[in-house]
Order: sequence, then structure tokens, then C-alpha cells
Amino acid sequence: MVPPQYYLLLAAAIFCIGLFGILTRRNALLFLMSVELMLNAANINLVAFSVYWGNVTGQTLSLFTMALAAAEVAIGIGIILTLYRNFGDVDVTDAASMRW
Amino acid sequence: MVGAFDFVPAIVLLPFFSFLVALFLGKYMPKGGALAGITATAGSLLLSIWTVLTVAGFTGTATTYQQTLYTWAGGMEGTPLPYELTFGLLIDPLSSMMLLIVTLVAFLVHVFSLGYMNDEGETGLPRYYAGLGLFSASMLGFVVADNLLMAFMFFELVGLCSYLLIGFWFREEAPPSAAKKAFLVTRFGDYFFLIGVVAVFATFGTAAFAGDGSFPALAEAALAGEGGGDVNTLFGLDPQAWFTVVGLLVLGGVVGKSAQFPLHTWLPDAMEGPTPVSALIHAATMVAAGVYLVARMYGFYALTPTTLAIIAFVGGFTALFAATMGVVKREIKQVLAYSTISQYGYMMLALGSGGYIAATFHLMTHAFFKALLFLGAGSVIIAMHHNENMWDMGGLKDRMPTTYYTFLAGSLALAGIFPFSGFWSKDEVLYEALVHGLGGSPLLLAAWAMGLLAVFFTGFYTFRMVFLTFHGKPRTDTARNPHGVRWNVKGPLAVLAVLAVVAGFINMVPVAKLTGLEIEFLHDWLAHGPSGLTSEHYSELTHDYANYSVGTLVGGELGTALISGAVSLGLALAGAGLAYSLYNVPEPVEHTDRLGSAKDVLFNNYYQDEYQVWLANDVARGISRGADKFDQGVVDGVVNGISSVSLLSGSRVRRIQTGVVSNYAALLTLGLVALLVILGLQGGWFV
Amino acid sequence: MIIEALIAFTFAAALVTFVLPDRLAGRGAFALSLVPVLGSLYMWSQFDASGNALLGGQTAFETVIPWLEVAGYEISWYVGVDGISLPLVVLTTVLTSLAIVSAWTPIQHRQSQFFGLMLFMEANLLGVFTALDFFLWFIFWEAVLVPMYFLIGVWGGPRRKYAAIKFFVYTNAASLIMFIGFMALVLGLGDSTSSFALPDVAQALRGGDLGSFYGLDANTLRVVAFAAMFFGFAVKVPVVPVHTWLPDAHVEAPTPVSVMLAGVLLKMGTYALLRFNFTMLPEVAVEYAPFIAAIAVLSVIYGAMLALAQQDLKRIVAYSSVSSMGYVILGLVAYTAYGVGGATFQMVAHGLISGLMFMAVGVIYNTTHTRMVGDMSGMADRMPVTTGILIAGAFGYMGLPLMAGFAAEFFIFTGAFQSSVIAGNGLALFTAAAMFGIVIVAGYLLFAMQRTLFGPFRLDTDYEVGPAPLHDTLPLAVLLVCIIALGVAPEIFFSMITDAVDPVIGGVLQ
Repeated sequence: MVPPQYYLLLAAAIFCIGLFGILTRRNALLFLMSVELMLNAANINLVAFSVYWGNVTGQTLSLFTMALAAAEVAIGIGIILTLYRNFGDVDVTDAASMRW
Repeated sequence: MVGAFDFVPAIVLLPFFSFLVALFLGKYMPKGGALAGITATAGSLLLSIWTVLTVAGFTGTATTYQQTLYTWAGGMEGTPLPYELTFGLLIDPLSSMMLLIVTLVAFLVHVFSLGYMNDEGETGLPRYYAGLGLFSASMLGFVVADNLLMAFMFFELVGLCSYLLIGFWFREEAPPSAAKKAFLVTRFGDYFFLIGVVAVFATFGTAAFAGDGSFPALAEAALAGEGGGDVNTLFGLDPQAWFTVVGLLVLGGVVGKSAQFPLHTWLPDAMEGPTPVSALIHAATMVAAGVYLVARMYGFYALTPTTLAIIAFVGGFTALFAATMGVVKREIKQVLAYSTISQYGYMMLALGSGGYIAATFHLMTHAFFKALLFLGAGSVIIAMHHNENMWDMGGLKDRMPTTYYTFLAGSLALAGIFPFSGFWSKDEVLYEALVHGLGGSPLLLAAWAMGLLAVFFTGFYTFRMVFLTFHGKPRTDTARNPHGVRWNVKGPLAVLAVLAVVAGFINMVPVAKLTGLEIEFLHDWLAHGPSGLTSEHYSELTHDYANYSVGTLVGGELGTALISGAVSLGLALAGAGLAYSLYNVPEPVEHTDRLGSAKDVLFNNYYQDEYQVWLANDVARGISRGADKFDQGVVDGVVNGISSVSLLSGSRVRRIQTGVVSNYAALLTLGLVALLVILGLQGGWFV
Repeated sequence: MIIEALIAFTFAAALVTFVLPDRLAGRGAFALSLVPVLGSLYMWSQFDASGNALLGGQTAFETVIPWLEVAGYEISWYVGVDGISLPLVVLTTVLTSLAIVSAWTPIQHRQSQFFGLMLFMEANLLGVFTALDFFLWFIFWEAVLVPMYFLIGVWGGPRRKYAAIKFFVYTNAASLIMFIGFMALVLGLGDSTSSFALPDVAQALRGGDLGSFYGLDANTLRVVAFAAMFFGFAVKVPVVPVHTWLPDAHVEAPTPVSVMLAGVLLKMGTYALLRFNFTMLPEVAVEYAPFIAAIAVLSVIYGAMLALAQQDLKRIVAYSSVSSMGYVILGLVAYTAYGVGGATFQMVAHGLISGLMFMAVGVIYNTTHTRMVGDMSGMADRMPVTTGILIAGAFGYMGLPLMAGFAAEFFIFTGAFQSSVIAGNGLALFTAAAMFGIVIVAGYLLFAMQRTLFGPFRLDTDYEVGPAPLHDTLPLAVLLVCIIALGVAPEIFFSMITDAVDPVIGGVLQ
């Protein structure tokens, strides 16, 4: 059996990739993808520990996460479309009207 | 058995009902509610006469009456309140006599008002008669009060009514201002009075005037060393000193209402009110209230020599001080106003020098002749089409003889010319001050001297007024062709003129002493009554506690009385004679320039108004404006400062909200990292 | 159950009024508000309490329904009235009804919301004066702020937002401090009480059960808690120097709201002071009596001096409220039956009189559209009835005998003058100083009346100035009758008040 550390390392790596994407990219689609990566990193953790403890709660939770991610993508794409209509671009820094 | 005393409440309530009727129904009634007032005061007058007769013993034995009618507060069973506050009646010779005076003057003033207000086509008559009704009711309530709190309450209501009536012509500028001043100045005095009332309750637990448990009786017992335990003096003062303080506090209200120096300034301004109101205020109600109050609680004042001395001094000084100002006035009502202040000074002088009877006597005669003079002046003012300047009059003697002769009677009484009523009463006032001064209270002699000097000025200004108004040649067209007056003006004048002539005969002390006849009716009248409220008791008290004893000049008491009377008569005649020589000429001129620089001082009333207006207007308003600036700037500034600190820090901190999603993400990440680091440090991961 | 019915009905009435069409809202709200009036009068007629509700007396219309349990403390719906709260309940219902009538003329938009909020506020006020459980009481206490905030902020004058926020933040922050103080007391009591019921807390505190809490020993805790609660309530009263929200709120608020603010809301502060500070912690009140008395005198004199400087009629009345509330503090600290009873009586008396003054000023404002003293003169010529009642009310404010204000002030003065709460009759000196307020109040009211009501008529308008409609003057007349009735027969309320304050003062001054 693969030790849980490997999963954790994998998850941490994927999470960091997602985080890096969010911090550096300005394209809203890439944003959305990075968020998906981070969510999946969390999912990997949940599943790994679920296997490790022999308990299905973690897997159940990961199913919830997926459903959530799907909903989020649906809304996210909607927002991106609106962004594109309003600014002619999908650059997240353009939409700064919530500024102080 | 139903007697007069059962109807005493009606004496007060009848004018009160006339107030209600005039206020709410007056405009639907003929004469604007005057008839209601006349009926009510006539009823009160009749009931007062019945009361006086009962007190005098005409309906059996001479009786007095004291009855608590209504418990205002503290009447509940098992109440934790230490004392009750009640309303009650105290009918004794003093109050019944005062009832008679007030109801009579009020009745005559109502009748006179028909001529002064209705015939002159005034508007707002229901308001006027409502005010008169309430005024009479308040004063009557004050007169019958059996305790100091009730007296204070009606005292204040009298002040309200004077405000309403002085400011009757509210559409003009001056009357509302005068009304405000009257209320405010007397309110200043009442402030001390109210502290006095509260202090009386704190000291004695009661404010009753009469009976064994009354506060004068308790004070007397405490000073005599009996039952001092019931008396609770404050601030660790001994009873004598504390009673002096309390007495002086109550005296504050007296000085305000009775227009004594230095709170006399409202009274001349109060002439802005309708003339019948002036008559009512000056003769029988508001101004009399102060002096009446001192007489009412004389058993308390007689215990404290310091208070008595101050009363005498203030009285004597006011008598002289006001008389000098009366000398230069141009308006007929102004002269009368200053004479009022001066005459009430005499009453205070009498009270302070142990002359309780003299003060009461002068209160009564003054009520009659001053009401007469004011109503006479009102008649002149009607005739002169509401011009009050005496220099525009002259020669009215032949055109309005009734007014002239009645006015003359009142003037002779005011000046104190033998044998008019004022002579007897003023003479007795001065006599009391003199003999008690000679008997070992030299301070009283100084007060007496001032009072005596004032007699000269009184004689002078009174006859200056008479000559300027009625004698000589008419100086204006209105004086040549004056407006006539009717029965409703002449009738009250005639009644009062008779009283002004004869009222003095009830107490001719020098004659009694000379002939040995028992004709000092007022002495006998005031000598009976509830124990502790008789003139004899008062003279014992002044003797025991203030060391007032009778001293005489040559010839014993008789000689002193005759000398005193002769001197004051001589001075009055001298004053009148001077007025005669200066003003009883066909074309009189002002002689005030001969006074030199004193003239300005007198015309400006010794600058009393100026400094009081300065205090009220400039000082008080200045302080209040400063306080307002302080409040807006500092107190509210701190509040706004605190809020602006949070607003400012908020406006700084919110700048991290850049609106760029990446920045938020970076902050989130930084936060996560920081949390991890802290957690790691705490958990020892890095060791 | 009558109290629940009253509060529930008033809430329901508020909801009904919210959905009424605007043109019916005023009349409808008035009709609905008559039910609480009748209810409170019925309570009065059936009133059978004796003693103080907090100190083991018999409470009328008492209901206790367990509600929640938080951290070992029972919270219940616990309401009831005694001789202190009943007069205030009656005052609340009567004044709300009259204020609603007086709003018919000036409120001309969003009427249904306005009148709904008025009723909503009334319901909460009834809760404040009847609740006997701290938690319940605090909910009502805070909930009063909400309608008041909107009433000022939506229907107010030009600076309404500033005034509304200032009012809300100031009093709310003060409530927070008060809350902390009270909670510290409850926690300091430890096992002595297992509920927030005010009677339990009060009796435990007076029984000397207070222990230490958070490192403070019982005495320090008592003083700190007293100070915190005093501050919290002092803002609400308000006393100098935490009074500055009041004039702003009054000036900006529409007249009927000013009536409620001055007439009832200020009394929440003094009522709470009596119920909490002076009932629960008398030792501290006595110990710091010179300080409290100094605050009272400062409020009276300074408030009156400020009123003297104002040019806006409403500001004058607002500052004089500060002055009048100072008398209440003076009466409370005296710890004599006349003093504390008079202070409670003054709450009712001032509620009626200041309500009358604000209403009368409002009626004049409806016509003149200005409240500045310098802008008008001789109004007595055009509005005789309103002016007459205004003069009567002003004299009531000055403490004219046989009106309610004099009764209250005299009780306070006589009670405070002989109090031995400060050694060597010190309170007598404070009382004498505070009494000078009766001169200043006469000064500024007479000055203002002389300049606005008397003299030749002058007012720059392009319309005819005439008398006010009957529905504007009638509430004034009703209030005036109440004021005179209470002045002639103060025992109407005073006997039940003294009965209820007797346990409060019992044993405090030896």
C-alpha cells in the first residue's frame, strides 16, 4: 500500500500549482482552472485519508466537493461570460469596481 | 350648623369659576364675561363680610377656623412619606380682614373695568376677565392658606396671573416685555422662597401656620429650650442662626413680590398692563401678598432679631428710595408705581420694628387709597384718550369733578394728611419704629429716619401729581375736551374715596391715648384669634427674642405718639406745600433741572434697571453663549472626534480593498502562510 | 396575561399598519393605538401590586414562562408591573396615541411605514417598562433603537442621517458598556443566582452575595459595575456631559418623534437607573453621592444655560429636557421617599410636559415652516388656541403650582434637601444650587415666548397664517388636562410610586 505521505505530497504539489496559477495569472479562465486544481488537491487528501482510516466519510465529502466544483464552474463560466461582455476581455484585474 | 366658614372655599372658588366661564364662554356672553366676574366677586365679597362678622362674633361667639381640606400628597395609608402636604383654610382676624379687602377691591376693579375696557371697545375681553377672575381666586387662595406650601403655590399662581394681565396687550412690544420682567424678577425672589419652604419642611416637618404643631410654635419651643428635639437644624447651625437663614430665604419671595429693594424694578414696568389691573396688583393682590406673608408667619419672624432688623432696614430704605424716584416721573401711573413701592416699604418697616398691627393697618388703608388712586388715574387716562403724561394734562379739576375730589381724597390719604386714613396708619408705622428704636434698638432709628424723610417726598410727589393733573390750565386739546366717564367708573371711585377717608378711624392710636377712649378697634380685632397668632403674642415674642421694648421721648407714650404724629404731619405738609408753590400755577414748568446731576440718576431710577438688565441680558446670555460654544466645540467635539478617529482609521484600512481579485488571493495566501508559521512555531515543528 | 396581550397586540397593530394604504395609515394607527391605551387603563383599574417588583414586593400581572437556558442561567419571559412601572406604561400608551394624531399633519409621505414604526416602538417600550428578566428587557431596550433610527433617518430634517447615526451609535455603544457592567455583576454573584431575573439579581446584591470576579474583589466590582451601568444609562437619560446626541436628534426628528423621544425614550434611562443602579447597588450610590449630585446639578444648570443660548425652539426644549432630567438624578440620589418618589413622578410629569411642548412647537412649525425664534413674532395673534396651550405648557415647564411639573420638582426638592446621603447636609446645598434651574428655565422660556408669540405679527410667508386644525390642537388640550390633573391630584400616581420606592430606600440611610 502506498504510504499516505506520497498522497499528501502529491496533493500539496497540486495545491501549490493551483495557488501559483491564481497568484500569477490574470486570465479568468486560468483562474477557474487553478481553483479546480486546488479543489482536487483537497479531494486527493480526503480520499487518501479515507483509505488510510478505512472510513468512507472522506470519500463522501469528496463527492460533495465535486458537486460543489461543478456548480462553481457553472457560475464561474457565467461570471466570465459577463466579464467578457462588459470588458471585452477576461482579464480579472479589469473588473476593479469593488475597489474602495 | 352651617356657618360662614363652610362657605369660605366658595370665596376662592367663585372667582375661579368666573375664570372658567369667561375663558370658555366669554365670547358668547354680553360684556365679554364681565358679568360673570362681577357676580362672582360680589358673591365673594358678601361671603367675606359674613366671614368677618362671624370672626368678630356677631353670630354668637367670636371664632376662628382652621381646617385641612385636601391632602395633596402623602395621604395614603402606610405611606413612607415623612409628612403630608395639605391644603387647608385658616380664618382668623388677619386673613378675614384681608379677604374683605381683596374681594372688595376685586369687585370694584371688575366694575371699573366695564368703563375702562368694555366702553373703550377693547378686544380680547374674555381673556381679560378670565385673567381677573384667576387673579382674584389665586390671591384669595393665598390669603386663606393655612400652611406655607399652599401659600407658596398660590403666590406663584398670582405671579402667573400678573404675567397674563400685564401682558394683556400682547400685540404691542412693551407689555409682553414688562410681563416677562415682572415674572422673572419675582421668580428670582421665589427661588429663595422655595428653598425656604423646603427648608421649613426639612426643619420642622410641617409648614402649618397655626396650632401647637405649627412651625412658628415649634421654633418658639426650640428656642425656649422645650421640645427642641423635634426641630432638625441643618449644617450644624444652632436654632437661632438656622431660623434666621430660613426666615431670610422666605423673605426673598416677599422682597420680590412686594417690590422691595433690590427686586422692585419690575413694578414700574408693570404699568404697561391695563390700569384696573394695576389697581388690583398694587392695592390688594400681588404686591400685598409679600407683606401679608410676613404678617401671616410673624410668629416665626419675631423670633429672629437679625431678620427683623433686615426687614425694617429694607423697608425703610425702600420707602425713601422709591419716594425719591417718584418725584421726577412724568407719567401719572409711574408716580403711583413708585409710591406703591414706597408704601410697601413702610409696611415692611413696621413689621421689622415689631409693629404688626401698624403694618396690617397700613396694608388695609393703603389698599383702599391706592386702589382709589389707580382707578382715579384710570379715569383720567380714559378722559385723556390713553395719554398718561401729566405734562399733557392740567385743569381737569373742573371737567371731571367726581374724579378730582375722589382722587384728592386718595392723595391726601397717601400723603398722610390729617385726618385721612393714610395719616393714621403711616403715623402708627413710624411711631412703632420710633419707640422700639428708642427702647434699645438703635438700628431701628436709622430705618425710622429714612421712613420719616420719605414722608416729605411722599407729600411732594403726591401733590405734584395732583396739581399737574387737575390744576392749572389745560395744556393740550385732549385736556381741554376730555372724554367723559360713566357710572361704572364713578361708582367704584366714590366707594373707595369714602373708605380712604374713614378707614383710618378704626385705629386712631394718638386719639385713643389722648382721650383714653377704647377706640383702637384694629388692636382689639387683631388681639384675638388662635393662640400664637395674636398681636399680643407677637409683641411678647419681639420683646423676648429681639429685645424690643418701648422707649419714649418727653411725655411718655402719649407725648411720643403726639410728637411723632406732629412731625410726620409737618413733613407731609411741607412736601405738599413745596409742590403747591412749584406746581399749583397756571403754567407749571419742570423744575427738575434744579436737581443738577441728581436728576439723571433719578430719571434713570438709580440705574437699578440697567444693572439688572445687564445681568439678565449680557451676563447670563454671555455665559450661556459661551457654554453653547463650549458644548458644541468641546463636549460635542470629543464625541465627533471619537467618531472621526474610527472613520479615519476605517478610511485608511479600507485601502487594502483594491478590487483586484489577485490581490485578495495573495492576501489570503499570506494569511494562510502566516497561520501555518505561527502554528508551526507554537507546535515546535521547526526545532 | 394582559401584558403579553398588550405587547402582542401592539406588534400586530404595527404589522397591520405597515400594509395599510398610506392615506388610511394615520387614522388606522390611531384607532389601533387606542387599544393599548384602554388596556393600560384597564391594568391601572385592576392594579393590585404592593411594594417593589425587584425587592420582594407583590407584582401585578406577573407572568413567568421559561424560555432558554444559557450557560447554566435560566432565561424566561418574565413580565410584571409595580408602582414604578405602571405610570410609565400608561404614559407610553397615552403619549403614543397622541403623538400619532399629531403626526397626521406633518407626515406626508410613506405614512404607513411611519405609523407602523411608531406602533412598533410603542410595543418595545411597553416591553422595556414591564420586563423583569434582564435578557428580555435588554432585547426590548435595544429594539427601541431600531424604529427610532428609521423615524429620524427617513422622516427627519436636513441633517437627519447624521442625527440618526449619532443617536444610534452613541446610545448603542453606551448600552454595550452597561451590558458588560451588568454581566460582571451577575457573574460576580456566582451561585447566588441562576437566572437573569432582575428580582433575583437585585435581592442577591442587596443581600450582600456579591463575590469577586475577574480579579476584582466585591467592592471594586460593585463600583466598576455601577460606573459602567451609570454611564450606559446616563447617555440615554441624557445627563451632561454625554448629552450631545439629544439636541441633534430632536432638531432633526419630525415633531411626533420628538414627542416620543423626549416623552418616553428619555425615561427609559432614568427608569433603568432607578431599577439597576439605585435599587441594586445603593452602597455605591451613597458612597459616590457627592459625585452623582454634582452631575445632577451640572445637568440642571448647564442644560438650562445652553437652552438660554438657543434660537431654535426645538433646541430650547431639547436642552431644557437635559435640565429637567437632572432633577430626576438629584431625586434618585437623595434616597428619601419624597426624593426617589418625586424622581419617578418627574419621569411621568416631564413626559407629559415635554411632549406637550414639542407638540405645540410642532403645530406652530406646521404653519410657519420655521422654528427659529427670530423668524416670527406675534403668533398669538393668528393661532390663539395653540399659543394659549403653549403658554400653559411653558408655565408647566417652569414649575407652576397645580401643574404636574411643580409637584414633581417640589417632591424632589423637599426630598433631596433633607436627605442625609451626604454628611453634613451636603445634599441640601446641591439641591439649593439645582433649584436655581427654576429661574433660568423661566428666563429662556419667557424670552422665547415674548419674541415668537407676542408683539406685532410678523412672518414671511406667501400664504395666509391661520389657526391650526382641530386634530392638531386636541392632543395638546388632552395633555394639558392630564398635566393639570396630575398637578392638582398628584396622588393619582404618587401613592403607588411611593409604595414601590419604599423598599428601594429602606435601610440605605440610617
